[in-house]
Amino acid sequence: MDIQDQFNEIYQDHALKVYRLCLGYAGGDEEQAKEWQQETFVKVWKHRKSFNGSSSVSTWIFRIAVNVCLSDLRKSKKKEHRVDDLAAAEEYVHEDGENTSQIEKMYQCINQLSENNKFLILMELEEIPQATIAETMGVKHGAIRTRLSRVRKALLKCIKNEK
Amino acid sequence: MKNDDLSQLWNSQNENPEFEHPEAIVKRANKQRNKQFVSIAIMSTTVLVLVGYAAVYASSEWNAFNWGLLLMISSLSIRVFVEFLTMYIKENQLVLLDAKAFRAYLKKYYRLRLGVNYLLTPICFAVYIFGFVQLLPYFQEAFSEGFYIYLLVSGFGSITVIAFIVARTVIKEISYLKALNNQ
Repeated sequence: MDIQDQFNEIYQDHALKVYRLCLGYAGGDEEQAKEWQQETFVKVWKHRKSFNGSSSVSTWIFRIAVNVCLSDLRKSKKKEHRVDDLAAAEEYVHEDGENTSQIEKMYQCINQLSENNKFLILMELEEIPQATIAETMGVKHGAIRTRLSRVRKALLKCIKNEK
Repeated sequence: MKNDDLSQLWNSQNENPEFEHPEAIVKRANKQRNKQFVSIAIMSTTVLVLVGYAAVYASSEWNAFNWGLLLMISSLSIRVFVEFLTMYIKENQLVLLDAKAFRAYLKKYYRLRLGVNYLLTPICFAVYIFGFVQLLPYFQEAFSEGFYIYLLVSGFGSITVIAFIVARTVIKEISYLKALNNQ
């Protein structure tokens, strides 16, 4: 298998998860999420020779994705914009159904979490193994479970509009 | 709503967005890399030409025009070189570090950038303008009045535009650093 085929395989396996991770961080902004996803894989290709195998390929890719999202200076503006969209979306929701409303609300609630917790819950929702999440975020594996459970509870509470 | 419903809700989103083909990603990555090589080649050539020019004319025909030109090109080259270097190091850290370590690195990086923006950039800017002013008497002597005025307006006009762009970048980076520190 040549290097291009290997890259294609890695891309097929990770593109959707990386996109949705970025989508959650971008507050549901699909255009922004696609841009970050593409930038992630551009960096994966450009730096493929620097991958030393000390972690799994998946961990390496998720690290790059998280760091790409983190380092984008434009994100605050996008989020502010998203909050405006949500205000409009909430009115629209009553006509269009409960599910859209809850997804929008979910994005709104994810946006209220700290940066770290945001990525933790997004990776958990993407069913990424906890060991990979710990390695990606630079957190001890033992601390992840408790922390995730706390973030899940906070998110549920927020979606249900509880104080 | 239960814990499981959270995952269910997340998974109920559109599952089939259209993504770019992997070959297109590779093409884009190679294009980015080539651009970097071209930029490095241009910068290296500029420095070599400068050194060569200074070596040839330093002892015999060195005047304010040569001096002005040297100041303009070298101040610009130094600033561009620092920009490339910091961007190169940042990208390497991005693919190496986990999120926690990268966030700590970003804080350091933007503090360093503040130093560059508040100290190095104004110095380079002042040297560039000083160099440009050194050229003006030669321009005035060599060109018609109309063309000289055009050079004055376009020269100081482009300096103003660059100053505006730099100021915008500084404001953006300060607010990003503040956001990083508040997390």
